Amino acid sequence: MTIQDSPAAATTHVMQVRGMSMSYGTGAAFNPILQDLDLDVVAGEFVSIVGPSGVGKTTLLRCLSGLLTPQAGTITVSGDEVHGPHPDLAVVFQDYSRSLMPWMTTRENVAFPLQGKGLGKAERNALADENLAAVGLAGQGDKYPWEMSGGMQQRVAIARALAYQAKVLLMDEPFASVDAQTRFDLEDLVLKLQHELGVTILLVTHDIDEALYLADKVVVIAEKPATVVDVIETGFGEDRDQLATKADPRFAEARARIMHRLKKD
Amino acid sequence: MTSATAPASPGDVGTQANGTTSGTGSQPSRASRRGASGGRASGGRASGGRQAAPRRKKPPTAAGQLLQSTWLIVVVLVLWWVLSARSTNFFIPSLQQILEALGTDLTNGVIAGGALYSLSNLFVGLAIAVVLGVGLGLVLGEVGWLRRVVDPVIHFFRCIPQAALVPLIIGTFGIGQGPKMGTIAFACFWPILLNTIDGVLGVEPTVRHFSKVYRVPKPLYFRRVVLPAALPQIVAGVRVALPIGITVMVVSEMFASTEGLGFYILNSSATFQVPQTWAGALLVGVVGYLLSVLFVFAERRLLRWYYASGAK
Ligand SMILES: Nc1ncnc2c1ncn2[C@@H]1O[C@H](COP(=O)(O)OP(=O)(O)OP(=O)(O)O)[C@@H](O)[C@H]1O
Ligand SMILES: [Mg+2]
Repeated sequence: MTIQDSPAAATTHVMQVRGMSMSYGTGAAFNPILQDLDLDVVAGEFVSIVGPSGVGKTTLLRCLSGLLTPQAGTITVSGDEVHGPHPDLAVVFQDYSRSLMPWMTTRENVAFPLQGKGLGKAERNALADENLAAVGLAGQGDKYPWEMSGGMQQRVAIARALAYQAKVLLMDEPFASVDAQTRFDLEDLVLKLQHELGVTILLVTHDIDEALYLADKVVVIAEKPATVVDVIETGFGEDRDQLATKADPRFAEARARIMHRLKKD
Repeated sequence: MTSATAPASPGDVGTQANGTTSGTGSQPSRASRRGASGGRASGGRASGGRQAAPRRKKPPTAAGQLLQSTWLIVVVLVLWWVLSARSTNFFIPSLQQILEALGTDLTNGVIAGGALYSLSNLFVGLAIAVVLGVGLGLVLGEVGWLRRVVDPVIHFFRCIPQAALVPLIIGTFGIGQGPKMGTIAFACFWPILLNTIDGVLGVEPTVRHFSKVYRVPKPLYFRRVVLPAALPQIVAGVRVALPIGITVMVVSEMFASTEGLGFYILNSSATFQVPQTWAGALLVGVVGYLLSVLFVFAERRLLRWYYASGAK
């Protein structure tokens, strides 16, 4: 685990989680999901959290995004202890198509959260168009989400998160329901955007290859209740390629290590 | 009405919104298509959804819709004309006599003035019901504890037959236009309130989460998220409220009134002017029909996204 105690290092931590525990229900229905979980995210880093389906990944992200309050432990974002949604965070939801509003055009969907930030209409629309273009949807702002394919809707959801200009992007299995090719395209798109914008990304997935391919650091969560069982620095650098990176011996090694970790319980 | 209470948990007012529809609420539950809270929210609307199914598959054009919904009326009118032409029954005059009476009283202003009076009551009453019903429904739909507190009150009032209250309200508040509008508003309020609550409960949970995480301010959230999301249900509520309002409008003019379509019907009936009585009833029907046609047009504009996305 990468717990750093020096104050200098702590300032670069855009997100820190210490001893977080979370459960649903009480009494007979008590269902512990997360147990004593630690997590460190450094600014500009791409962190993947990988864990099997149902382990509590969405629950973890809901805690981080301030939608749920954990029973124990602390979460700090940009140095503030989190007690509700933090302005430095944006989330791309697991069921992204449902998070888009069908009564708004894609431009309106992307621009809408900016209205709450107090931006003027022209500025909002400009930011929306800019970010729609960044995800490869230039000129599609007048379309409605339901006129778009799943992959395009996911791009809209990503554009919305980018336009919000948060420091940290939380992504919950963002590519789980698109076909393999679209998935690869979106993965590369997210990598490219991350490098261009310098945004910090915390991505949750059950796909080991995806976690490794994207991340600087892979955090493996497993067991019930879930806790961090391994942290792997991938060290693939900035230039990644769907074929070459995945053929890297270090990739195979890390992959085996994660599979081993996930198998144990 | 009573059957709709079966699947609901006691705390959920909204589930039974369309209990009052008797099939008029053809608004299908969007929530049922979209999972999560849908199962709960759509419970009371099963019959409405089934009726609407063919309509949603292929949304007809406005003209097509008009033709579709008028041809049978034309047939009925022709049959009425032919079959009543030789009527000797005093209480069933020929359609020709009825239309003549209608024409006379329309041109001399007797009935036109009454219709105007009635319609202004209806519109004001309905507008009050929409504003209060939607406003309160949005709040009750969002605030769970408040909804549970007022739930019994809502159930009590919605079960009272609205027309039965008319003499009481008018007796209490007098015979002016105000009490009539108030009565109409009161009657129309309940289906709109219940449907609004239902619509709010059907808002996609992910959209709620999105609004929280992206810190959308409450007023903006209500205006741009909850209201549009609940709009299909709200419109269904208004559609249900419209005929209720028309009924109460007529009934309210039958008590100590000297104006309006209800008065015209009652007055002509009391003086044995049977064709006039029929003419008044016919006019109410025509007005109601025209209003519902207008309503469909307004609805299609207002809910374009809903029909377009649902048709997919
Ligand atoms: N609102 C809730 N109330 C009660 N239990 C819940 C709730 N949400 C999730 N759970 C339970 O918590 C556990 C973890 O769920 P969670 O959605 O966090 O898993 P996940 O890792 O995101 O799964 P997936 O990979 O399928 O998305 C599951 O057993 C689930 O049944
Ligand atoms: Mg999940």
